[in-house]
Amino acid sequence: MTLQQPALPATAVATRPAWHRDRGRLFQEIGMLAPAVALLTIFLIVPFLLSFWTAMTNQPLVPRPTPVRFIGFTNFLRIFKDDLFWTSLWNVSRFTFWILPVQCGLAFATALLLHQKLPFRNFFRGLFFLPAITSMVVVCVIWGTLFQYPTGPLNQVIGFLSGGRIQPIDWLGDPNWAMFSIVLLSAWQAYGFQMIVYLAGLQGIPDELYDAARIDGANAFQRFWHVTMPGLRPTHVFVLVITTIQAFKLYTQVAILTQGGPKSSTETVVHYMVRTGFEEQKLGYASAVSVILFVIVLIIALVQRQLLRRFDV
Amino acid sequence: MSDLAISTLQTQVKPERSAVGSLRIVQTASILVIALVIVSPLFMLFVASLKDDRFQILADMGSFRAFWVSNPTLSNFAEVGNLSGELAFGRYLLNSLIILASTVGAGLIVNSMAGFVLAWGSLRGRALILSLVIALYVIPQESIIMPLVIMVSRAGMTDTFAVQIVPWIASPLYIFLFYQFFAQLPKELFEAAQMDGASVFRIYRSIFLPLSLPALATVSILMGIETWNQYLWPILVTQTDYARPIAVAIATFFGQDSIYWDRAMAASVLMMIPILALYLAFQRWFVSSFVGSAVKG
Repeated sequence: MTLQQPALPATAVATRPAWHRDRGRLFQEIGMLAPAVALLTIFLIVPFLLSFWTAMTNQPLVPRPTPVRFIGFTNFLRIFKDDLFWTSLWNVSRFTFWILPVQCGLAFATALLLHQKLPFRNFFRGLFFLPAITSMVVVCVIWGTLFQYPTGPLNQVIGFLSGGRIQPIDWLGDPNWAMFSIVLLSAWQAYGFQMIVYLAGLQGIPDELYDAARIDGANAFQRFWHVTMPGLRPTHVFVLVITTIQAFKLYTQVAILTQGGPKSSTETVVHYMVRTGFEEQKLGYASAVSVILFVIVLIIALVQRQLLRRFDV
Repeated sequence: MSDLAISTLQTQVKPERSAVGSLRIVQTASILVIALVIVSPLFMLFVASLKDDRFQILADMGSFRAFWVSNPTLSNFAEVGNLSGELAFGRYLLNSLIILASTVGAGLIVNSMAGFVLAWGSLRGRALILSLVIALYVIPQESIIMPLVIMVSRAGMTDTFAVQIVPWIASPLYIFLFYQFFAQLPKELFEAAQMDGASVFRIYRSIFLPLSLPALATVSILMGIETWNQYLWPILVTQTDYARPIAVAIATFFGQDSIYWDRAMAASVLMMIPILALYLAFQRWFVSSFVGSAVKG
């Protein structure tokens, strides 16, 4: 034990009344728990509950002389009638559809490679994690130059590889390409975390399973398909769900690079929320959007729970 | 991935050793190619920050000169590194460092204490609090931010450091990670110290905390990255230079008609240095299995 003090004689403990000791311990425990509970209550639970209330009022951003009125579900009805909201929801779904294979695929591939006993494994692990510690603002500076039209590096590389057959692409300025461009830089920035989770999943599969499969005459492909893949099932669920939730919260890169454009092709739910709340100053309306966002995230999380339960983990 | 598997299938007929050898070559080649694709954008950023002509930076982008600088200069850094004035990125960097150190420092203490009590305490409502903490994890920051802005502006906290630190100290995720780490330590550790008459806080402070370097390092890295990269919250609660973090300051480059890429690149490199240092310092203890253990949570 690291405790250096000489132990108290057993009698000293015994002579202190039991209730006194227990109460002291209880106070200490409450004291240690209190900061976290207080902070979570003030900065998470209260604003969360408030968002449901604000969503049903016409609360403006800047206080007005007229009192804030309760308007029931009016904000929600207005949102559901706004085409731009449905566009943002559709855009975020498109984003999710593309980011899942690109980001999770990259994470899975790199994790499988790093799991092999290759030289400089730790060096590569650190290297592959670098984009994950790069701030999204910096990522936007980098990819803003890579995406330059028509002579940016990405267009040059594609032109070179295709022998000039593919025309330069206006990555961020073409409504057909803008969201996919956001997918590319987002996947590059975020795959590192999923890679770490996959590595942990791979380490969790016992070596004995591989040895047993080898004795049974399974080749490398069979071992991958019948040992690795089933062993990673909870990891796959976790990674896909986390990536989907992240995708629905898409904001920073869009706010910096495209402001939702061109032609609303990269408008997202959170960007729509911030715009209505702070540019149009309709805080009640924006709160209603935030409640909808929470419901979406909650549904995704509940689906994950069900899937994990079905896989019996 | 299927390429890898197929290459293994094809080499199965050869003797085992050469099969393993050629698989190694394929794996090493793929790792090098991926590394090149992943790292070249960062390398380009670093190289471009050393060029002092913003038109040259864009002109170089079309060729391999994007990865080469013939006469490197630190003039961009001198230009943006000021502590006051128009391009006071030195100041913004300092602001971000203050916010980072305070949030992570306080976060380690608050979340680890709570995680410890939830794992080893004797409080009656422990299990209930734990499941509440796990449930709170579902709430995304984005969906509480609207009322939170009203709350902090009523409290007169806008444009302060505190508004960027205090709300994000306690976090369900990190409480849970600490809880999980403490709970898997042996029971004898707690009981023996208790027999010696040590109080709960003392057991936490002198026995469990010194043993939890992997947890402290992992939470430091995760929390550090999260704090360093905050963007939505600071743009809503900072209006002046006073407490503006560097992420918000860099984003203002994009609002201009023509972007000063030379300055933006230098400021970006400045922004990368502290978080890279934090990562390199703690990477040794950054245990991936620890992050992965949250999978089942």
